[in-house]
Amino acid sequence: MTPILRIEDLSKSFGGVKALKTVSLDVGHNEILGLIGPNGAGKTTLFNCVCGVFPPESGRVLLKNKDITRQPTHRIAHLGIGRTFQIVKPFKNLSLERNILASLCKDRTKGLSPIMFGTGLKKHRQEVLRLLNLVGLEEYIDQTPMTLPLGHQKRMEISRALALHPKLLMLDEPFAGLSQEDITPLLQVIKNLRSEGLSILLIEHNIPYVMELCDRLVVLNFGEVLCEGTCEDVQSDSRVIEAYLGS
Amino acid sequence: MGLGYLTTIGTFVGIYIILTLSLNIISGYAGQISLGHAAFFGIGAYTSALLTLKAGFSFWLALPAAMIIAGFIGAGVGIISLRIKGDFLAVTTIGINFVIVTVFEYSDFFGGAYGIMGIQYPMLFGLKISKFYYLMLVFFFVVVTAFFCFLISKSWIGLALETIREDEDAAEASGLNCAKFKIIAFAMGCAFAGLGGVLYAHFMRFITPNDFTFPVSITIVAMMVVGGMGTIRGPILGALLMAALPELLRPLANYRLLFYGGLIVFMTRFQPQGLFGENAFIIKKLFGQNLRAAFSKRNRAGGEEI
Amino acid sequence: MLQQVVNGIIIGSLYALIAVGLTMVYGILRILHIAHAAVFVSGAYLGLLVYTYTQSLILALILAAVGCSIFGWLIQRFLYTPLLTEARIVPLIASVGLFILCEDLFRLLGGPYIRAFKVDLWFDKLIFFDTVVTAHQCLIVIGTAACLVSVYFLINRTKLGLAWQATAQDMDTAKAMGINIKQVINFNFIIASSIAAIAGVLTAINYNSVLPTMGSVPAYKMFAIVVLGGLGSIPGTIAAGLIIGMAETIMSAYFGFIMPRDAIAFSAMILILIFRPQGLFGKGV
Repeated sequence: MTPILRIEDLSKSFGGVKALKTVSLDVGHNEILGLIGPNGAGKTTLFNCVCGVFPPESGRVLLKNKDITRQPTHRIAHLGIGRTFQIVKPFKNLSLERNILASLCKDRTKGLSPIMFGTGLKKHRQEVLRLLNLVGLEEYIDQTPMTLPLGHQKRMEISRALALHPKLLMLDEPFAGLSQEDITPLLQVIKNLRSEGLSILLIEHNIPYVMELCDRLVVLNFGEVLCEGTCEDVQSDSRVIEAYLGS
Repeated sequence: MGLGYLTTIGTFVGIYIILTLSLNIISGYAGQISLGHAAFFGIGAYTSALLTLKAGFSFWLALPAAMIIAGFIGAGVGIISLRIKGDFLAVTTIGINFVIVTVFEYSDFFGGAYGIMGIQYPMLFGLKISKFYYLMLVFFFVVVTAFFCFLISKSWIGLALETIREDEDAAEASGLNCAKFKIIAFAMGCAFAGLGGVLYAHFMRFITPNDFTFPVSITIVAMMVVGGMGTIRGPILGALLMAALPELLRPLANYRLLFYGGLIVFMTRFQPQGLFGENAFIIKKLFGQNLRAAFSKRNRAGGEEI
Repeated sequence: MLQQVVNGIIIGSLYALIAVGLTMVYGILRILHIAHAAVFVSGAYLGLLVYTYTQSLILALILAAVGCSIFGWLIQRFLYTPLLTEARIVPLIASVGLFILCEDLFRLLGGPYIRAFKVDLWFDKLIFFDTVVTAHQCLIVIGTAACLVSVYFLINRTKLGLAWQATAQDMDTAKAMGINIKQVINFNFIIASSIAAIAGVLTAINYNSVLPTMGSVPAYKMFAIVVLGGLGSIPGTIAAGLIIGMAETIMSAYFGFIMPRDAIAFSAMILILIFRPQGLFGKGV
């Protein structure tokens, strides 16, 4: 079976500093793959290369066997990758409803159709409610993100990504900075999504949650894949301990 | 103050409302600061003047043509905005304003520093329309522009523009092509600025490069900010207030500009979201709360009945 | 040709002096400070006032700098700081309003006409071959150099200057590191405004005139220079000021009829920004 996402020999450097050196990895169907590694290992850079925020220098990114390397970010979103950001980026002054609706725009703004008016955003309120329900935020639909705590904002971002009907969800440090009462519902949300058949690529520093959620782990260090395997394998790998604690 | 004087003031106010609403599409919705809007006002005016005088177009044909040309040049600025961003873009648009005015001023084709004279009043059914009907015509286009903005704000494209204003990275990740929408925003905004220019040229009947300089751009921006960006009532009421203000301050004679400047400082300092914006003092006084809260409460109440 | 280069350097140094203050304000507060031109004009008027009464140029420069520092500080404290959390365009419009107000105030207080600012120095002019450098031009070069060197020392050699650099990099981090942001902002406005005052006095001497509208061209043209220099970079701004000054003088001397002076700065800016969107000396993105 072909993997949902296949990354082949991806490289990227910033002004001489190699952020990624021939990184390869696969995300399988209905799998949660954890991407861990010390700060500056290149995890977010990898995300940004996959999503087309900046182009990789070499290598390929395949989504369900389709080459999506160097496509613009919005094309990649259409093709089926939803993502969240390390530092949340909600549309601050728009209601949650409009935040989610933004991701539903994709089919309605092609060609001349954006100039067609009165296409009734209100009709999609049910769909927005359904999407917010997936992350447990439907009661806040008319509020702006700024009035909500960080945990809710992070869940809103997930809901916004889900509105793209993605094949793959990429979460960048979803648990960072959250309090315990925000973490529990978020864990549940991610588990539910997997049980509904979604594949997830997850960057996270909080090892206990990584262990709880992920099927497999990939460890990045200095832009290279250090090791890869099940949680138990990785945990007992001496190279990983060395990378985290320093030799 | 005679009736003729009031009609003249009314026409100017109408043109300023169109200009402010059109800038609001670019800055208020799409969040791209443009400090050179008067250039597109000028492009509209010059295009229409030249088309009617040199190419024999009628006013009614020159009007859409001028809008299209202003829109196309505006789209060009939109393309520049893809590369130059934020405050760099703001200053670049000042530059664009200067360069375009310089082109008007230094080329004989555009009449040089003396501008273009002898532009005709529009004809309707073979008759020259009167000043009063011209005011009605301007008023009609104000309504058209406001209605267009209303449609935008309710449509998918309006939502797309707002997301670009809020966060470009997140908009791209949500599948929106920011480049396309920025260009669309500039094209639409500048086309309507062109409309304002056409109405101005045929009302004044002579135009000079001086009418479209950077201070005019700043006046338009100030009207928008004082009124409240990102809404429709804000730019309309802001333009109305600020265009009427110099007339209201006329008794102050020698101290007019002093008070004008002072009021801008005062209003932006104490109502930074605009006098008629979302959290404005006036709106709160009138509705008891801000408008969004009032509407969402009504929606919720409606929902419960069903 | 050499004569034009000399003239260009003089204009360029005056531009650089005004623009350095703007770039400093932008570097810290991210505000396009149009009212900086009002500070510049008030410097010229204050300098003229003091000079008429005391006949001392040094005193005129110092008192103008002190007066403008207070003016700049007041703008910062009562107009910009309360508006920092608003959309960027709001302080910009407030600044424009203040500039309109000040320009009219200068007209009412100083009269709508041009006032002469004649300063006699102890020599008249220097002549090298066929290039003339007037005493006033020497004064401008010396004044500019003195100002820029003091700015360099204040920013690189004092504790507050280092704090300024840190704040310009990233205000939030600087705050987290325990830097007193308020103090840095005050320092910033005092330096920026006193340099603007000196620039005002020097410009007035150079053209032997002080008038209420002398700030209206610098008000926006300086932005072309600041942006060319990379918005927030002091060395970049100085270089851009000199480049624009030279380009204007040389171009208007040789092809003056094609383009008005003021359009040159902006055309150059647009062309350069299209190829380098972060300005000539800005950091790469």
